[in-house]
Amino acid sequence: MRVIIEEIKKDIRILLTYPAEIAFWIISPLLWVVPLVFQGKALIGGLQSTAFANLAGTGEYIPYVLIGGIFSTYMFTAVWSMGNALRNEMFYGTLEHILSSPVRPIYILLGKGLYNSLLSTFFVTIQILICVFLFGLDITLQKIVPIAFFLVLLMIGLYGVGFIASALTLLIKEAQGVLHLFEYILFLFTPIRYPVEVHPITRAVSLFIPLTYALVALRGILLGIEFDFVKNSLILVALDAIIVPVGIWIFMRIEQRTKRRGTLAHY
Amino acid sequence: MNKIIFMVDEKNIVLTDLVKVFKKRRKDEVRAVDGVNMEIKQGELFGLLGPNGAGKTTLIKCISTLLIPDAGTATVGGADIQKDPLGVRRMIGVLTGGERSLYWKLTPLENLKYFAALYGVPRKITAERIDYLLDLMELKDKSHERVERLSSGMKQKLSIARTLIHDPPILLIDEPTLGLDPYFARFIRGFIKKELHDKLGKTILLTTHYMDEADELCERVAFMYNGKLTALDTPVLLKQSMSQEQILEVKCLGDLDEKAFSHMHEEMGISITKSDGLTYIHISTENPEDLLSRVIDTVRDHVKVLSVNVTTPTLEDVFVHLTGVSLKDDTTQRE
Repeated sequence: MRVIIEEIKKDIRILLTYPAEIAFWIISPLLWVVPLVFQGKALIGGLQSTAFANLAGTGEYIPYVLIGGIFSTYMFTAVWSMGNALRNEMFYGTLEHILSSPVRPIYILLGKGLYNSLLSTFFVTIQILICVFLFGLDITLQKIVPIAFFLVLLMIGLYGVGFIASALTLLIKEAQGVLHLFEYILFLFTPIRYPVEVHPITRAVSLFIPLTYALVALRGILLGIEFDFVKNSLILVALDAIIVPVGIWIFMRIEQRTKRRGTLAHY
Repeated sequence: MNKIIFMVDEKNIVLTDLVKVFKKRRKDEVRAVDGVNMEIKQGELFGLLGPNGAGKTTLIKCISTLLIPDAGTATVGGADIQKDPLGVRRMIGVLTGGERSLYWKLTPLENLKYFAALYGVPRKITAERIDYLLDLMELKDKSHERVERLSSGMKQKLSIARTLIHDPPILLIDEPTLGLDPYFARFIRGFIKKELHDKLGKTILLTTHYMDEADELCERVAFMYNGKLTALDTPVLLKQSMSQEQILEVKCLGDLDEKAFSHMHEEMGISITKSDGLTYIHISTENPEDLLSRVIDTVRDHVKVLSVNVTTPTLEDVFVHLTGVSLKDDTTQRE
């Protein structure tokens, strides 16, 4: 536990030396919403559409997209932060010193995952506050507990995704392209920008991604769209139970492989 | 101060037929460590001497569990590197040359706190231990400055403090003075010898390609070349193995290579090194006086002879005698 806490403290201290990075994560979801708003207006002449309401269960396009953008921050910081965490250690020259310490690397990654969760929660809180004041997003204390519940379930699954992203970095070193691809796939197959019901393939693939269920639940809570609380919770728990062990297994296999091939600290 | 006590074997590091092979494209392979056998006793300061690319760092990485060997076994303080890697890591401290082994955006204090947690130093002695190490490395007044603002020598001192944070009984030190100015290099060498070895009684495996460093510090030295150990003994006995021989050193201005001496095959152990625009010819021979005129005749049309010296063999000369290459050469097989 102490290692995990020290890992979080270390990463926070390093992040604080890069203020531009903090500003980027705070404003980026809000910035990418604006073009979507203009796009919608240009296409249909406004922000209300019957087709959209039929698919999404709500006609409120801006809150719909904002919620998708804001909560997908968890997914993207998990992919980018955990994916790049070991790469950063390679650049610092500290990776081998960490890995020659008597701590299993998975605990260090877990520390990085928890750091990532704290970071995302900080960003999301600021983004939500901005939305409350700018767009009149309605959020009450009653909504916070179920929101937190689904976020925890989402984050646990994301640690598994983060372990896989870290393993990819160990394996191919320059994983930026793969991480970008992963990001685009998520945009395509999860209801971040649009309801996945828009196409049978997006709907089918989205069933295997935890973010789908988390976004359905979070939108349901925040926008009053009807959803099955128990079903979404159970599916998220089941996906977490699969993704986390698989992520750990993949990471450990690839760590052993890099130790055999001698490519651990290559970059 | 509380001490972390480890169970240690009398033979702290034992390598048996250790092999590490790196696969290259087209089915080629490089045997970076090729059947190494070695035993290092508790409290011994042992040097591994070889040119760049000899396999020294690969060997250190195998011992520190960062690489998995392809054959053979290694135990560190009785723990097997493959069966009990965590046990091995608890007993070792790894120090490498070069600056980048710390978090530059953090202060020395923050770095040491982090590594103390990583190495399981009990909370109640962490502050005391950090204070002791910062004092020992003369870094107390820099403890709140970011590492990126420290000089190279200070960074290396801090790296030593990091290596010692958990008071490991066994130290693996890889090229510790690489890139340091003479003042800090001297400090580091003195620290390794007097503090770590003489006073604290650590078992130390030191790799270096600086002959003086190995000669000055180590009780026993092994020569490593192309992944194999070519000799292992005390520096004195290694040098005595060439006791009949003397070294004829000719310092010249101009360029010259070993082809110029192709007609003198009977005289073994010719090495030519270049430094600061000068060429140095070293020839090991039993009769330097007899050889001198022939050497001068050979080089006079190519270079200007500045000085001639006859010396006793150094470790470098023994290495050249045994392997035919200089410690300053890059013998990397992987490129």
